[in-house]
Amino acid sequence: MAVSLRNRLTRPRPRRAPLFAWLMVLPTVLVLLAVTVYPLVYSLRESFYRLELTFSPVATWVGFDNYVKAIRHDPRFWHALGRSFYLVVLGVGIELVLGLGLALLISRLGRLRSLVTALMLVPVMIAPVAVATEGIVIFNNSWGPLNYLLDEVGAHGPVWLGDRSVALYTILLADVWQWTPFVAIIMSAGLRTLPEDVYEAARVDGASRWGLFRTMTLPLLQPLIIVTVLLRSMDIFKTFDTVYVMTGGGPGDATETASFYTYLQGLRFFSFGYAAAVSYIQLAIISVVATLLVRRMRKGLG
Amino acid sequence: MIVAALAFFLLPVIWIALTSFKTQGEVFSYPPVFWPKGIGNFTHYSSIFGGQGGHALKDSLVVASANTALSLLVGVPTAYSFSRFRVGGDHLAFWILSIRMFPPVVSAIPLFLLFRDWGLLDTYWALIIAYLTFNVPFVVWFVKGFFDDLPRDLEEAALVDGANRWQAFAGIALRLAVPGIVTAALLAFVFSWNEFLLALFLTRSEVRTVPVALANFVGGHEILWGQIGALTILAILPVVVLALVLQRYVVRGLTFGAVKG
Amino acid sequence: MPLLSRGKRRAAARPASLAAIALAAVVVLAAAALGGSAAGGARTPQSALAGTPGFGDMSLKQMIAERKSVPVPKKVPKFSGKVTVMGDGGHNMNVFGFWWPEWKKAGITLKAVEVPFADLYSKEKAEFIAGTKAVDLVVFYPAYIGDFASNGYLRPLDDYIKKYNPHLNDVITAFRKLYLGWAGHTYALPEDGDVHIYIYRKDLLNNASEQAAYKKQYGRKLTVPKTWDEYLQVGKFFTRKAGAKLGGKTLSRPFYGCGEYGQRGFSWAWFMDRFASAGGVYFDKDMKPLIDSPAAIKALNNMRDAVKQCSPPDVLNFGYDQLRDCLIKSQCFQVVQWTDVPKKGADPTQSQVHGKLGYGLLPGTRVGGKIVSRSMMPVGRVLAVTKNSKNPEAAYWVAKYISDDVSYFNVSTPADGLDPYRYSQLKPKYFKVFRSTADASAYLAAVRGVLEHGFPEIYIPGAAQYEDALDLAVNKVISGQETAPKALGDAAKSWNDITDKLDKKHQTELWREALKNYKALGLIK
Repeated sequence: MAVSLRNRLTRPRPRRAPLFAWLMVLPTVLVLLAVTVYPLVYSLRESFYRLELTFSPVATWVGFDNYVKAIRHDPRFWHALGRSFYLVVLGVGIELVLGLGLALLISRLGRLRSLVTALMLVPVMIAPVAVATEGIVIFNNSWGPLNYLLDEVGAHGPVWLGDRSVALYTILLADVWQWTPFVAIIMSAGLRTLPEDVYEAARVDGASRWGLFRTMTLPLLQPLIIVTVLLRSMDIFKTFDTVYVMTGGGPGDATETASFYTYLQGLRFFSFGYAAAVSYIQLAIISVVATLLVRRMRKGLG
Repeated sequence: MIVAALAFFLLPVIWIALTSFKTQGEVFSYPPVFWPKGIGNFTHYSSIFGGQGGHALKDSLVVASANTALSLLVGVPTAYSFSRFRVGGDHLAFWILSIRMFPPVVSAIPLFLLFRDWGLLDTYWALIIAYLTFNVPFVVWFVKGFFDDLPRDLEEAALVDGANRWQAFAGIALRLAVPGIVTAALLAFVFSWNEFLLALFLTRSEVRTVPVALANFVGGHEILWGQIGALTILAILPVVVLALVLQRYVVRGLTFGAVKG
Repeated sequence: MPLLSRGKRRAAARPASLAAIALAAVVVLAAAALGGSAAGGARTPQSALAGTPGFGDMSLKQMIAERKSVPVPKKVPKFSGKVTVMGDGGHNMNVFGFWWPEWKKAGITLKAVEVPFADLYSKEKAEFIAGTKAVDLVVFYPAYIGDFASNGYLRPLDDYIKKYNPHLNDVITAFRKLYLGWAGHTYALPEDGDVHIYIYRKDLLNNASEQAAYKKQYGRKLTVPKTWDEYLQVGKFFTRKAGAKLGGKTLSRPFYGCGEYGQRGFSWAWFMDRFASAGGVYFDKDMKPLIDSPAAIKALNNMRDAVKQCSPPDVLNFGYDQLRDCLIKSQCFQVVQWTDVPKKGADPTQSQVHGKLGYGLLPGTRVGGKIVSRSMMPVGRVLAVTKNSKNPEAAYWVAKYISDDVSYFNVSTPADGLDPYRYSQLKPKYFKVFRSTADASAYLAAVRGVLEHGFPEIYIPGAAQYEDALDLAVNKVISGQETAPKALGDAAKSWNDITDKLDKKHQTELWREALKNYKALGLIK
């Protein structure tokens, strides 16, 4: 019941895998080649063409033009990308802090722990689209319950979806609502694996609670935290469903994320060549970030 | 504190459930109606079942089940192979994991063009195949963890007794890993069940999964919130029940085996 | 070492039997799925439960009952086979159900395929790109007629029009000239005459105490606003806080003088109402964008002020439905809306202000001493036969039946959202939802007026991209993110990029063709 990655990665490896082992892996490799690598190559090719299906189905070779345009002449794309990263940093940060806090609370519960964990799983399991459709109701300013309740307690709720300085945080709030319990559950599972005797010793030595948390708990949870950061940041970077349903990218461009912008270019405007180039730029950035995180993870575990 | 947190996380879900019993007038009234008159009146549910919602639920069920079965078929042997033989070393394993991280919007357009050429757009197959991109890597990593936890002695004993490797896998390891495989199946099912973007790209009208149907509902002129509430409840009920039944493994699954709850 | 302790493993083994059952269920379902889709996806949206086709927002029985009193032609031509129609889902698909028995009589099995309102274009475009032969008849927004017709997705209807006359001369001029044809051929028949209309609270405007207060405040009589400046002034006048008086009654919630379409997507059309009335048009004859001109900036600033000074606080989240509710739930004094909203406003089951609404031309802009009013014609619906249709003649006949033979019913019933587009439809007796003939006449006079002042969407290929770029600029300004000159300047730049990207020479030719129609209609000089 510990962080098992450590275990998996440090197991001594057999000298050579038998043919049988390769045969077992083959289907997966073939499937992934077909459904991910082939499309990726296909779209890499596409990204060097002008392919505007509103105009004509004929593709014209344009070399790096699409990339040059995206990088140098498309501030809208960069703003969208920036917004996605902003959501990632803020979202992961908030979810981690709240999640850890909740985990500490949960870990002190006795028998109720498993019930609370079960209930907390509910938001995690809901389709993001369903979260968004209900978001429309809950955040509605004229007849939604949230601002009514806030009014009742004397707080004046903001215009959640119709204010450009708030809307992005509303999208974020939906994500925080859905995924903080997930982080909390992971962290509380992690907390239970910490060695109780070491804590006892430290406490006898007069360490403060905060000191214990900082010098013991956090470092011990670090591998878990890195895994969580990796999973959550990749998911938040993909934020699309809630934007599509709740705001359509507005007000102004306040909630236009990179995923949503790519969707517009691809399936609204049918600029397939350009959409492919934009996708590739995102993919490159994500790969770099993910590689760094994964390396961190492997190092931390090895 | 914990009660407040639970309220924060659960009240919106309860609100959805209450909305599913409201009339259109009750939805729009101010102050909001908290306890609808027609509570326990399942009109919205029956009209959902009779109309598009019923089809959507069926489509989602078909896609998610078939994709899950296929993901297991492909992924479980690989998981075993990684666990026992470390085929390809860490690189292959991490390559597979990294595919799970791809934003779907990147593969959506190529898949659209590919399926156009293969004539698969707007069929069950389009989604069953497309969802392999995230579910196969998931199954591989998750089930690998379960195989890692199983002692090798039994398999080795069987091999000494003259069984071949396949028999050791199918007859012993697979049987022991059933709980893990079932959890993997349930979570893969949930991932497929909840997916929206690829479904939006790759299907149009013949196939329409629940998330797409939900988004359709709010796009129209006359937004029937009661029915939306009902469909939402129908959409989340199965996955929530599954999650509760296998709570402990779900935590492990959602972290790709990094945490054993 | 294995991480699961012995005790744990036993616990894990317990759900094994349950697990086996679940696994078996998954396999069975998967087999069923594969079998089902191998059958070729020929599933019809027929619901076995209700016994009705799965489209529209009523049961087939209700739909047919709805038009029971409408006399239908005794003789219909004979066809055979299936006609598949694709359109935006919800109540506007009901027309295909109203006339279900007629399709049957003509030997046609009609199949309806619904897609979301916002994605109708993308879904149909995808269908065309995929090159399927699955759809015979498409309902689409005429802004895309350039895209669809010039790419060869549609079948010219000229021959069929000779065979079964759809009486196009009866179609209101703007619609006929702008939205049905492309490059000399007719490709579409009208189904829905969407155009903006101005709607206001007649009871409040005529209220004596409001009249007196307005006169005192502004030194002139309170009348229906003729210009956008007056619109703003009247809007500000009627904006009240909770607790204030309105028409002699104390308000329990705030009341607002204006409402706009503030959501991303169509907010640009509310800007174009203003800009077009000042003589604005999208491009000049060389495809130079004109949307960053001083007149455009002034128009957009007017809309921004309306949003900021006299609209509800969540107006930037208002789409069609919220903007409609704002009016008919008595939260706003005046709105510009599609022409079906007065019908909803007259319906006591939906409206709190039935009998209290007035309708008219949109406010305008004073150009050379004369006030010019323009009404955007956003969305709208037309019917066209696909190039790949295997049953084109039957598909055309269905379109023609809806567009002509029984069209007055389709556009007057509150059971759908379709709006008038023919002169012959504008008769008070068809519009029974209005309580009095006078009210119906006022509505129809207004509809006729706004249709005659109709201003089209961009409707050359790339419309979706041009409109999105403009909408982004409009939305940035009304949300206070950027100033009008900056945002519209950027939009003009984006338009140039789009034009270059698509092929400037080709786009220019198409646009000049469009401009000829604008001129013929007197929309520009």
